[in-house]
Amino acid sequence: MAGRGRAIAATALRTGARVAWRRGFGLRRGDAASRAAAREVRRGLERLGPAFVKLGQLASVRPDLVPADLAFELGALRDRVAPHPAPAIRAVVARELGAAPDALFASWDDAPVASASIAQVHAATLARPYRPAVGPVLPAGTKVAVKVVKPGVEAALAEDVALAYRVVRLAARLPAVARLDPAALVAEVEASVARELDLRVEARASLRFARFFRDDPRILVPSVVGRHTTRRVLVTTFVDGWRLSDLGAAERAGVDAHGLAVHGATAFLRQVLELGAFHADLHPANLLVTPDGRIAYLDFGIVGTTTAAEREAIAQLLVATAFGDADRAVRASRALGLALPPDREAPIRAAVDGLLRTHLTERHPADLRGFALGVLRLLQRERVPIPPGYGLLLKSLVTVEGVARALVPDVDVVRTAAPTASDVLLRTLSRPERLRARAPAAVRAAVRELLA
Amino acid sequence: MDDGDPRDLRSVLAAWALVHELADEGWKAAVARGEAGPRDAPGPGAGAADGTSGAAAGATAGGTAAFVDAVAAQVHREKEALKARLAGTDASAASGGRVDGDAALEALRFEVAEVRTRLESIEATLDALHAHLTPDDEA
Repeated sequence: MAGRGRAIAATALRTGARVAWRRGFGLRRGDAASRAAAREVRRGLERLGPAFVKLGQLASVRPDLVPADLAFELGALRDRVAPHPAPAIRAVVARELGAAPDALFASWDDAPVASASIAQVHAATLARPYRPAVGPVLPAGTKVAVKVVKPGVEAALAEDVALAYRVVRLAARLPAVARLDPAALVAEVEASVARELDLRVEARASLRFARFFRDDPRILVPSVVGRHTTRRVLVTTFVDGWRLSDLGAAERAGVDAHGLAVHGATAFLRQVLELGAFHADLHPANLLVTPDGRIAYLDFGIVGTTTAAEREAIAQLLVATAFGDADRAVRASRALGLALPPDREAPIRAAVDGLLRTHLTERHPADLRGFALGVLRLLQRERVPIPPGYGLLLKSLVTVEGVARALVPDVDVVRTAAPTASDVLLRTLSRPERLRARAPAAVRAAVRELLA
Repeated sequence: MDDGDPRDLRSVLAAWALVHELADEGWKAAVARGEAGPRDAPGPGAGAADGTSGAAAGATAGGTAAFVDAVAAQVHREKEALKARLAGTDASAASGGRVDGDAALEALRFEVAEVRTRLESIEATLDALHAHLTPDDEA
């Protein structure tokens, strides 16, 4: 514990020094210096290991707590670590499933396909046919991905989380830090890590997504093999494909990148607005383009959720954004919990209108990232508390844009979002209770119009 | 959006538009604007489902008026579909009850399959426990 504590302190000090250097020891201001400092914080967290990567990932969806530049930079957090040796992984599989991998699978590859700090993935083939919850029967010999939680990870994470609690307790003596409630963020980390360590949670999320997209031939969600899935082992069908960063090869193979970018953005909006659950960890390793031109979603370890009321407000906000409607944007923001002080509402509305024009109306293609950053900076400058769900929404939209842009650099996500958002909005507004509530006013307006 | 859903505002508006086929010039103009793409803005009714046609890519403006025009275009298309269904050319309308039944059955089938997946997972854990509790010579 003491050794780990010293290592954390040393890394934190080194990172602090780098951040101070990037900021010119307080003399350098502006976006470039902020971005450079944020990059140093991200690299520092990556060096500190899984619990801190998790802390950063959670902070990345809380632009209400951390500066907007840092929140966006932390969205790029990755943990890539050396894989555990094959015997240790085989031992986990044997302990979890009661037999060695060679007895369970027709073939097993000791060389891992991928390795992160919590788990690593091995390729294998099914020994017997399997009927998944969604999709056709998988014949014997089907290639599968076996995700295995690394041995000792749980204890290491618990140690880091305990250390993090001690650090934030000390830091909370400073009033400025106490205001941010860092202990609550560490508690979120603890809960999130616990969810990620139980691969059955990911299996259930994967099943739900597979069913939701069952009728969409351009979206692929791997099938879960229940009979080989436990708390520490998750078996799904193997997906071959290109990472978004290797799309040149995909296009040479004839994949319609533009179609996929547009479809991918729409599919993400459907998750947010219709399913009420969305893949919250989209990065190049979790999103593949398959040789038959499909988008494959991998790794449902981190899933965001939206309530019905949030979905309605989000649809309103998307429509407002797509149609450059600042009034609707402010109304929908209020419904998402944004409390604008009455005396500041007019200037904030004018500023949002300006941002809409600068980044969306007068820009081709629209720049959603610039708009979202502008709104967050505006709210932070005006000291308007940002509700967590609101920050997550803006971050999610920017993620959609980033993913689509990785496929086609000039794709316009705002334009793509308009049909899906307005469909969902119309459906929401047509609920009987909404119609009943709005009918008298609508009739009065209609009569007024007729008699005018 | 499911065709013919009575709770669907667009369907309700489409039915209204059909009944009042003599929709005024203002309405028709709104449909035309929505179909062509709002003045500067893209609209849900302005282009293909992927939003790739209509106004110039990325152009957005017009606020509430543009949104209303785009919805008007959607309602117009819904009205045409409703006309086609009433004319008996849409076979799926006649089999609406069957479609609902199939959807319910599919939902139930998924629930069962999900429970089966969970049971299989529990069974795998039990197998592992059994293997650990059984001496090697018995296993």
